[in-house]
Amino acid sequence: MSRMLVAPAPRGGLVRLTWMSRVTLVLTAVAGLAAFAWPLIIPPTWDLPATQAPLVFAVVLPFVLAVVLSELGSSGMDAKSLAMLGVMTAVGAALRPLGAGTAGLELVFFPMIVAGRVFGPGFGFAMGNLSLFASAILTGGVGPWLPYQMVASGFVGFFAGLLPPAGRRWELVLLGAYGALASFAYGWLMDFAFWPFGVGSHTQFSFDPAAGALENIHTFVLYNIATSMGWNLGRAVTTVLMIAVMGGPLLSILRRSVRKAHFVPATG
Amino acid sequence: MVAADRTVPLTPRPTLARPADQILHPWAWWAWALGVAIAVNLTTNPLFLVLVGLALLAVILLRRSDAPWARSISAYFWLAGVVIGVRMFFRILVGGGFGETVLFTLPEIPLPDWAQGIRLGGDVTLEGILYTLYDSLRLVVMLVAVAAANALANPRRALRAVPAALHDISVSVVIALSVAPQLVESAFRVRTARRLRGGRARGLDAVKAYLVPILADAVDRSVSLAASMEARGFGRTRTTSRRRTWTNALLLVSSMVATLGGFLLLSSSGDPGPVAFGCLGAGALGVVAGLRASRDKIAVTRYRPDPWGIQEWTVTVSGLLVLAIVLALGNESVWALFGATLDPDVLNPSFMPATWPSLHPALVVAAALTALPILVTRAPGRTPPATRRGDAAATGRTGIADPGARRPDEELVTS
Repeated sequence: MSRMLVAPAPRGGLVRLTWMSRVTLVLTAVAGLAAFAWPLIIPPTWDLPATQAPLVFAVVLPFVLAVVLSELGSSGMDAKSLAMLGVMTAVGAALRPLGAGTAGLELVFFPMIVAGRVFGPGFGFAMGNLSLFASAILTGGVGPWLPYQMVASGFVGFFAGLLPPAGRRWELVLLGAYGALASFAYGWLMDFAFWPFGVGSHTQFSFDPAAGALENIHTFVLYNIATSMGWNLGRAVTTVLMIAVMGGPLLSILRRSVRKAHFVPATG
Repeated sequence: MVAADRTVPLTPRPTLARPADQILHPWAWWAWALGVAIAVNLTTNPLFLVLVGLALLAVILLRRSDAPWARSISAYFWLAGVVIGVRMFFRILVGGGFGETVLFTLPEIPLPDWAQGIRLGGDVTLEGILYTLYDSLRLVVMLVAVAAANALANPRRALRAVPAALHDISVSVVIALSVAPQLVESAFRVRTARRLRGGRARGLDAVKAYLVPILADAVDRSVSLAASMEARGFGRTRTTSRRRTWTNALLLVSSMVATLGGFLLLSSSGDPGPVAFGCLGAGALGVVAGLRASRDKIAVTRYRPDPWGIQEWTVTVSGLLVLAIVLALGNESVWALFGATLDPDVLNPSFMPATWPSLHPALVVAAALTALPILVTRAPGRTPPATRRGDAAATGRTGIADPGARRPDEELVTS
């Protein structure tokens, strides 16, 4: 068993990726990058206050997400994948309020990464998206940050589905390393995009459109180390710990369900 | 499990006249709140911001139900407090002297070389404090507007009213929302079972001993749910699951155009101009049109759709009017229409030098419009405490006495 390579997902994954969904996913990635990296895009002469900038893409991203989710939903899912997506989303959404806010104790990434691994990138993307959406609805936490969180966590699940095959033991190491990396990347991206929201403008830790991109990154790194390093570290540690303890059992539960429910790639 | 459980009897209710306890369409609340939120973002006039904040508070307190999502507003106020606190902290600690009226001076602390450019302490100025206060107030009132939408709009009903193209995804979310509370019940069952068996795991083993059966239970649930959905013919109504090519093209092009619009808005120096806003608007319209156009391919019927009537229009328009007034006050040609020149102090009062802000009459009207929903909507019927705890018969008889008590599986029954 230990020498057997475990394939990342059943052929093609649970959610079939049509060419259309591939294109929309790429588009989401581009829009997401522009959204998260806006402090690097903005020209020095931008005359609106910096706090407005994250709101621009908070308006744009929902439309892009609607297109990609409608494509993933209508072309690639049958009742079995839909029910599995709903239930795994519920697991993520129910785990999130348990840890939210307490020193970065973030449990939502763990089911997302494992499910993305077992059910493929399309499922991982949809589940990452919907977990954050459903938990925001459950706790009434819908706000301008939600589209950003949905895009970022969607790609956390997506790339988990693209990880290479690995043996039993190494699989957990792989997932754990990926979990730590993803936790930090998620935290940095969110902090970067909502940087002026936190500090406001015209302090020494603030985004300054007049300074260059490098200068701003330098300020951001200082600000981030001073404020949210603990949160990001906490998130990474929790995710790795959960994967180390629960990753094995959850992988087998989900793989057993693949055999039991006889998931086959949906055919159009 | 979800689709099969029918404990609430379905009683016919009048469909033509709106019942007294009928709640407003959730998207009307969202349109109103978003209009106000965007309007608030365009101004730093503290008097206007406080007025709008109070109006929003009044609407929330008078019109919210006792549903779980309506109890979340305290979290928003907490967040708002944190925003002001953190910003004030940074302003005072690393404000870096901006303005001339020095209020007090903190001792300066030099930092090591790698943090060059950052200086702790120093002069704390009135201008700096005012700027931070105005700017955070704007953010806080925007948060209150979002909180209002969260508290007033029923998210489950909002999900029911999404375009048919998102139907599959919204079914998934509805499943998630109904399964999440069941997981808690599942956790209690696992605990009882473990106690009966005398399970004594501690530490990490205990985590495993609890979570593994809960997760296995959840996955089993999904398999049986899928079986029951397929047995009821879920998803059989569609002819082919493929959308037409032109719909796909429309969706793709318009989401690209919307992204481009956002990019242009951010990367244009000075006035963003009509091109950026045009791209944003065209993209948004295109996506909505594309999603609506795929409806005929995905035949989905709605079960008792929420009506969109005069009340909904009034609430929506009041929110948009607030936005329109603020936009007009920032526009030179609108001022010229009334034979005046643009006064930037109306929307963004100067804080350098610090002066007492004034309130333009149009802004008073805008603040009053924010509170308009109080007049056109009725307070939702609150469930009497005796029946609140899951008394299905009592809430079922009156139809929708408690919006939270509606069966969340309605959407599943439709397809």
